[in-house]
This record gives sequence, C-alpha cells and structure tokens, in this order.
Amino acid sequence: MTDTLQIHIDRADGSLQRLIGLVERRGFHIDAMSLSDEGAMRRVQLQVRGRDAGRCTENLGRQIDKLIGATRVGCAPAPFAYRDSVAA
Amino acid sequence: MTAATALKPAPAAAPRSGARLLVSTLERLGVDVVFGYPGGAIMPVYDALTGSGLKHILVRHEQGAAFAADAWARATGKVGVCMATSGPGATNLITGIANAMMDSVPMVCITGNVATHLMGTDAFQEIDILGVTLPIVKHSWVVRDPADVPAVIEEAFHVARSGRPGPVLVDLPKDVQVGLTSEDFGFHYPNETTPVDHAAIAEAEQLIRAAERPLIYIGGGVKIAGAVQALRDFAGQTGIPSVSTLNALGSVRTDAPGFLGMLGMHGTKAANEAVQESDLLIVFGARFDDRATGKLNEFAPHAKVVHFDIDPAEIGKLRAVHVPVIGDLTAGIEALNARVAGAPLSIEPWIVRSTSNARRNAFRYDAPGEGVYAPALLNELSRTAGDSFVAACDVGQHQMWVAQHCEFSRPEAHLTSGGLGAMGYGLPAGLGAKMADPEAHVVTVSGDGSFMMNIQELATLRRYGVALKIVLLDNSSLGLVRQWQELFFAENYSEVDLSDNPDFVAVAQAFGIEAFMIDRRDQVTDGIARLLAAPGPCLMHVLIDPRENVWPLVPPGKSNAEMMHDTRFEGDM
Repeated sequence: MTDTLQIHIDRADGSLQRLIGLVERRGFHIDAMSLSDEGAMRRVQLQVRGRDAGRCTENLGRQIDKLIGATRVGCAPAPFAYRDSVAA
Repeated sequence: MTAATALKPAPAAAPRSGARLLVSTLERLGVDVVFGYPGGAIMPVYDALTGSGLKHILVRHEQGAAFAADAWARATGKVGVCMATSGPGATNLITGIANAMMDSVPMVCITGNVATHLMGTDAFQEIDILGVTLPIVKHSWVVRDPADVPAVIEEAFHVARSGRPGPVLVDLPKDVQVGLTSEDFGFHYPNETTPVDHAAIAEAEQLIRAAERPLIYIGGGVKIAGAVQALRDFAGQTGIPSVSTLNALGSVRTDAPGFLGMLGMHGTKAANEAVQESDLLIVFGARFDDRATGKLNEFAPHAKVVHFDIDPAEIGKLRAVHVPVIGDLTAGIEALNARVAGAPLSIEPWIVRSTSNARRNAFRYDAPGEGVYAPALLNELSRTAGDSFVAACDVGQHQMWVAQHCEFSRPEAHLTSGGLGAMGYGLPAGLGAKMADPEAHVVTVSGDGSFMMNIQELATLRRYGVALKIVLLDNSSLGLVRQWQELFFAENYSEVDLSDNPDFVAVAQAFGIEAFMIDRRDQVTDGIARLLAAPGPCLMHVLIDPRENVWPLVPPGKSNAEMMHDTRFEGDM
C-alpha cells in the first residue's frame, strides 16, 4: 500500500534531511519524491510505503506535522504526480 | 507554531559579538545555571561568560553536562542549558540529548563549531552536529549571522518548553561568536493553548460511567504538564485505581489508597493484573512504551482506551484509542473533574478487588540471610529521608528496585533515565538535582557498572561542594544483564563480571569525598543515618549479593500476565 504525502517545508538548515530522516526512521520506504519551489517554502511530494503492515501513514503524517517548519498538506492513495526533477 | 511578535530593539549600543549576545539573551531569559565544558570552538562564549550573571558549572565530561542539565530541568520545571565545543565536545553531548528526547525534557544545548567558511571541509574538530543530532532533537539551528543569535536562542527556549517539551540544539560557528552586530531584537512567544475538546470530554465521561473496571494509567506527561493536582483530584473523587509508568512515579503519592504501583516488565503483580482485567484504561500522558505494555496485542485485552495527550502523534501510535483528548493535560483533566464531580461511580467491587490484591501481593522485605537486601535498604532510605527525598537513579537492577521499593511524594522526587535507559545518568543527574533543590535529600542510587560510566563527576561534586548523597549498590557485575543471562541465556555469563572493581571508598576519598562501606543487614540503619547527616557529599558503598535478582519480571516478548516471581516467597505471593 503506497500513499502520497504533500508537504510544505522551509529552507532552514537540515530541513529536508530532517523530513527524509523522519520518514525512514518511522519505518517507511520512499518510492518516489519530487521537490519544487513554492515561494519561500519548498513543496515536497513523497510516495511512501510502510516497511511492514503495522505502519500507518496517518501516524507518519502526524509525526511530520510536529516538525518545526513543515506542514503536511495532504495524504492520499492518489497516483504520484511527477514534477520536473528533484531540484530546488 | 504560534508566530512570534517582535519586541522593540534594545537601546542602541556599541556593536557586540554573537557570543556576548548569547550570554545576554540567556540572562534575559532568566537562565541562572549552565552546565558545560569549554574547548577551542566555543572559547568566545566562555570569554563572554566572565562577569555575567550566569553560573557556569564546569563538569568533567560533556555527557555529565547534558545529564545534569536534564535533571536540573526535571527538578525545576525550567529549561536546562548545557554547552560544549565542536566535534568531540558536541558528540559527547549526544547520549544526554537522546535521553532528554526520550523523556520529553526541555533542554537547550549550545555547541560551538568551526567558522562557517570551514564547515564541510573536515576541519580540525569539525563535525556536522546538526546532522548527527537530527533524530534526537525536537529542533535545531545553525546560526549564520550574529544578529540572529537573540532570536534563535529565544525561539530555541520556546520550542524546548512548548507543547511536548524536548531538547533543542543551537550550533554557533566561531565566526558568528566573534562577529559584531548592533542588532539585538527580542521576541515574545505567547503561550499556546489548545482549547479543551468538551465533546471528547463528554465521551470520556460516558465511557467512565459505563465502565465496571476502569483504571488510570499515569505517564510522565502528567508531571511535565503540571497536572499532578488535577490528576490527584480525579483519582480522589472517582476512587478509580491507578497504575504508573516508571517516569510517572510519585504523580500520585506511592502510598495513596488506590495506587497499585508501577506496571510493566518490573511492575507489581497488582498493577499488571488490574491492567489485564480492566475494561477501560484512562491514559494520562503515557506513550504505551514496550517496557510498560509487554506483548502489545495482549496488553489490556478487554479495555477500551481514553487517551489524554498533548502530542497528537501519540494517539493511536501503538494502541487503538476510543476517545482521544488532545491538548494540555491540566485543562483536560480539570474539565473531566468538573463533569464527574458530585456523581459517584459505582465501582466499589472493583476498588475492593484491586486494592486487596495490592495488599495481598505487597513487597516483602524479610528475605533470608544476613547480607544487605537492597530492596529493604532502599525502602528504609526513602522512608527515613521523608517527603524531601529525591532519588536520581542510574540504570540497572538498582533502578528497578528504586522504582519498586522507594516511597515518592511527588514526581520530581524520582529522576530516572526512563526511555533511553542510559547508564551513567545517576551521578550527574544527582548533581543537577541537588543544585536545583539544595534543601532536598537528593540521593544518587547507582550500581557499580553505571557508576563507573561517569565517575569523574565526583570531582564536580567536590569542586562546588554539592552535598549529594550516593548509595552505590555493588554486586560486582552488570546485574540486570547477568539476570537476563541467567534466565534467558542458559546461565552463560558473558562479559558481565566486574569483580575487579576499584575500591570505591578509596576512589571517593581520593576525590575528597567522605565515603564508607557496609556489607551487613544490621549496618543499614546506621549507614543511612550517617549518609543523610553528612554535611557534604558522601558515598555509601554497599556490597550486595551478586545473585540477587529483580522480581517480579515479565519475560521479554511475553504478556504482562506472565510474571515470574521470587521463589523465596513462593506460596505467599
């Protein structure tokens, strides 16, 4: 089961590393990722898949919501929308 | 998070360095004690400390600084502050940072770093400490402009103590410390309050009134939220029995009627049985840690769950929740209290059953033999010290004995490395706690393995004349590991023998600290009296039987219903 998370995140030191590290540490694989500018923020789209059946994407979303400078804007099993490339 | 409001800048002054701005900002925030250790990349900060209002405590290892700041924060409810230089100084803080993260302790850690133009070049004593600590901090910053120092430090304090508290890291490159700026903006962070969800409270009340066997499950969040009185009011007026996690001991007095003890791996039989029989768990600020729950899918199998927590990510993380109440615990429990007031519950049979089970299975202190029985010693120690007793535990068998056998009147009285289980916590934590509360009977209870991990902090005790008392329970081994090897690894005692320990009395005396040894049961009372009466720091070295184990015990991977007991008391338990 894969889900797509849309996240807005600031450009502070380590913010992207913080986000990706959190997702992997909480037991999810990242199958696809895109990154784009959105004003002062970056918009990150992550397609994630739990490492085992016990991993709940909604709970991952709540962990992301706790990150300072990050806002989760959505979580859906919708197809991943590819952007240009992983660049910011 | 709530947006900060800029205050007016301080009156125009001569340009000041980032280091001086750091010190003045800490002063402005009311910081009075900083634990740290200097080094090359943080020397401008140490230069600026001279003549400031900050009392700097020079520890002998940065890990001691982090643990002491952690315990200082737990004891005072304020934000603890520690600092270290770059590279090895910063990495030595890591265990202390992780410890604070696991137990939600507000702490600001300040590290020096090499100059910004050298960052990323593998310069001398350079480490990417922001990257290294990302998984174990609530948030972190690298300051790249001296003008940003006040704002970042104020935000760091706000983040550390708001919501679910935790440690934060501020990394200050050397050029930022020495760089000059005339800026000195302050920020004001309003207190964030989450409105009480009265609909959820009403649902919680319905479940409580419908329950026949409700049980209060107290977590460390109660103390953090300052919700102790609200919790005690709730337990008192409803009569609902309660159990506690390791970190929450003392939230209700351990001798209060209806308190069944700690739950989990080394919990009491009464607490674990009540959890298994309960039909409603009312969880206040706990996170369903595996040491508390045992085999998760057999934990409280008949219970619905009402979960009060400030952290939305804890809701449903490990256990499905029927009614979540997210937000400040004090406000939530007080709202619940208002609803249950004046209409008593009909749970008398459950109260009688669970409390009589607790009486029937109370710990016994009449183990055979003439040697010191550590549980009895600890029980006597806490009773002798009274309500001002504070235990700063290390990690191991002695830690579990303290949790099981000491009496606690308040949660600040029990300082322990709960989530991380970090050996070496006890001595620096005792230092921090005694500095925070000089009038209390603060006692570090340590084991011979744990004590050696930060033994250098005896020098810090001596330097500042901190009258910390130390009970060193010495079984010449890594006792808890040895116990597991005995029970679960066919008595293959691999690398747990510490029989070549140093003479701890001589070691303490070499540091200039009073010390004495006891090894017989009939010496315990006098030993405790001498320890507590000593005017300065004092160590009581206690030789105990290396074969002594911690009971009860839920074997790893088993349900809390499957407890192993001390066979010496078989038939009576």
